[in-house]
Amino acid sequence: MSAGLVLEGVGKNFGGLKAVSDVSFAVPEGAIVGLMGANGAGKTTLFALIAGNERPSEGAIRFDGPRIDGLSPDRVVKKGIARTFQIVRPFAGLSVRDNVRVAALYGRGGFAGSAEDWVAAVLDETGLAEQADKPAQALTLSGRKRLEVARALATRPRLLLLDEVLAGLTPTEVAEALVMLRAIQAKHGLAILVIEHVMKALMRLCATIVVLHHGLKIAEGTPEAIAADPAVIEAYLGESAAHA
Amino acid sequence: MIRRTAWMWVGLALAMAALPQLGGDYLIGLGITLLMWIALAESWIVLSGMTGYVSFGHAVFYGLGAYVMVVCWNNLPGWAGFLGAGLAAGLFALAIGYPVLRVRGPYFVILTYGLAELVKFLIINTEAALGKFGRLVFGAPPLATLYYLMLGLATLAVLIAWTVRRSRLGLGLAAIREDETAAENAGVPVARLKLIAFALSAAIPGMVGAVMALRSSYFEPLQAFSPTVSFNIVAMAVIGGGDDAPGPILGALFLVLLSELLWAHLPEVYMIILGLLVIGFVLFAPEGLHGRLQRLRRP
Repeated sequence: MSAGLVLEGVGKNFGGLKAVSDVSFAVPEGAIVGLMGANGAGKTTLFALIAGNERPSEGAIRFDGPRIDGLSPDRVVKKGIARTFQIVRPFAGLSVRDNVRVAALYGRGGFAGSAEDWVAAVLDETGLAEQADKPAQALTLSGRKRLEVARALATRPRLLLLDEVLAGLTPTEVAEALVMLRAIQAKHGLAILVIEHVMKALMRLCATIVVLHHGLKIAEGTPEAIAADPAVIEAYLGESAAHA
Repeated sequence: MIRRTAWMWVGLALAMAALPQLGGDYLIGLGITLLMWIALAESWIVLSGMTGYVSFGHAVFYGLGAYVMVVCWNNLPGWAGFLGAGLAAGLFALAIGYPVLRVRGPYFVILTYGLAELVKFLIINTEAALGKFGRLVFGAPPLATLYYLMLGLATLAVLIAWTVRRSRLGLGLAAIREDETAAENAGVPVARLKLIAFALSAAIPGMVGAVMALRSSYFEPLQAFSPTVSFNIVAMAVIGGGDDAPGPILGALFLVLLSELLWAHLPEVYMIILGLLVIGFVLFAPEGLHGRLQRLRRP
């Protein structure tokens, strides 16, 4: 059995609508894989399927061998997969520290030292230490995106699902966030599956990119190969031409 | 400041413990009423204050407890009826909790209200089928005994609320209140935690109902399952503050004294004032008396 995340012919129907169909790819241990595609391509649905928020209509999702599809989200977290939300979902009335504390106390656990030390370390790594005692609702968008990452990281995952954590940030904030993500990945030896619209960032961050279009996987390869792939270019130019 | 507050609570508890020695039947009766509401509202916040699942049907646990007590009375020792009432209420919460707690927001409010009414009429019909129209309790313990039982229940309810609020469980419940989906994706087993909170918030009201059945020496389903019980619990928690243990104590103290003052002279005004107060607090001080006081004290 191969280590890491493996999707085998995964599909999801909402009523008659096929949001995702027959998607297969893998995120090996420690790898960073990018997921791209236009709006409505099924990227976020795919995250919901992996994280247990939705149950696939077909196919199988495996993590380190056993199937995880159909498990509830909290069980998936305990297996070592944590997601962030594209539209941020902080525990608004709780302090930033308590937000992270929830994930530390209910996540996979098993960190060295006390939970409080772990929370402090996560806040430090995500650049939130100074705002730790503010209510989460007082954070800026950039802060809230960091909090999404901090909360996911605090569960001590082995695979992190990042859903557009760079969207809406200024170029400076994007650069800072990229440094943060790289440092986190290197330190914890995480695998990361990342959805991103900031193309440059995706190209720089990932060794492999998977492209979805209307719920189907149309390409998978290195950033260079993807950039030159005719199917990808057609999907993207076709869409932008339709907008013009 | 914290130490002074702690001493204040200890003082209040001691004063309540000494009350039967100092006061007559009227004062003891008033004390039982106050402690009853404290116990009920404290139990209520464990579910509704902490998770945001607002129950408008807590009378069901109170009524079930009273019913278990009167059915057990004369057949089983008193303590068995008392503990059985708590157990029955807690188990009932566990049994209905799984489906009921899948419903959120206003739907949960209506569902809990409807369930309480349903159980009320089920028991009315059962009693009618048995040919019972109200049950009398003979040989109930003296008032002071009931008072101390109620004091024990109120103290226990306060301690449970206080402890849960500061525990891992309480943090998980707060996460559910803030954003249930995000909580689940942070690893919080939301279904299990909600169920635990529901059972915790139901058991003491069951025992409170048992004590009150003995206090009134009478059981009549329309009274024991009265929605007014549910409404009062919510009103006290809202006015006092549903976030932490001191809130319901303040809310119960305030409303019990207010109703005591008004019932004597202006009974028809009491419900109007209660309604206005709830509206006022929801609109202008949703954090309740306790939250307000805390904010005033902060530098």
